[in-house]
Amino acid sequence: MAFAPIAPIAAVAGLSGAAPATAAGAGTGTVAGGLGNLFTDSLQAASQAQGTADGLMAAAATGELTDLTSVMSAMTEAQLATQLTVALRNKAVESFNEVMRMQL
Amino acid sequence: MSLFSAIGISQSGIGTYKAWIDATADNVANANDARRTSEEAFRARRLIVTSAAPGEGVRVVGVSFGDAEGRLVHDPNNPLADDRGMVRMPDLNMSDEMTSLIIAQRAYQANVTAFERARDGYLRELEIGK
Repeated sequence: MAFAPIAPIAAVAGLSGAAPATAAGAGTGTVAGGLGNLFTDSLQAASQAQGTADGLMAAAATGELTDLTSVMSAMTEAQLATQLTVALRNKAVESFNEVMRMQL
Repeated sequence: MSLFSAIGISQSGIGTYKAWIDATADNVANANDARRTSEEAFRARRLIVTSAAPGEGVRVVGVSFGDAEGRLVHDPNNPLADDRGMVRMPDLNMSDEMTSLIIAQRAYQANVTAFERARDGYLRELEIGK
């Protein structure tokens, strides 16, 4: 039997336009849509900040960088944006669990 | 990201005061440059700084150079001396430069402190309701 060759795995270029899983459980559609958009926006901002920080760190490693503060503040922004996404996810999961715990 | 705007504002301050320290260090390093009387003296560098868009921090808009006349000093043993033994030295005041260095360093540290306090504040803010 001839096996098809395995395609090479492309390097992960970073998240772009990640869509959230359907916000299940919540009752009203507008509330679920709003929270989902917020999560998508913060995820995009986090990946964008991470991309900026990666580019600046590569420039610093190759010796092209003239401004040290730009690297440090880009890394701080990336960290803060990621923490924001995690906090949003935690709150969304918590409220989902609260709703599911309701006795009917 | 406008959510964490203090990061960008403090970054602009840190960059500006770093440029000021660089300019002052350049002036101090060149404070004893002797030139021929036919050339202009080493000119001290001063930064022109203004606020960026309101609430956006600070930026350097230009550079102004100091006096080109300098001081004429009698130094006949200098290889650059003219037929009267004069050379042209820069018109720099070392105490002015030292004061600028101290101000720039303290302002730099103040901006770094603002950056760190803002970052700690944001991190704490993300834990509201935990």
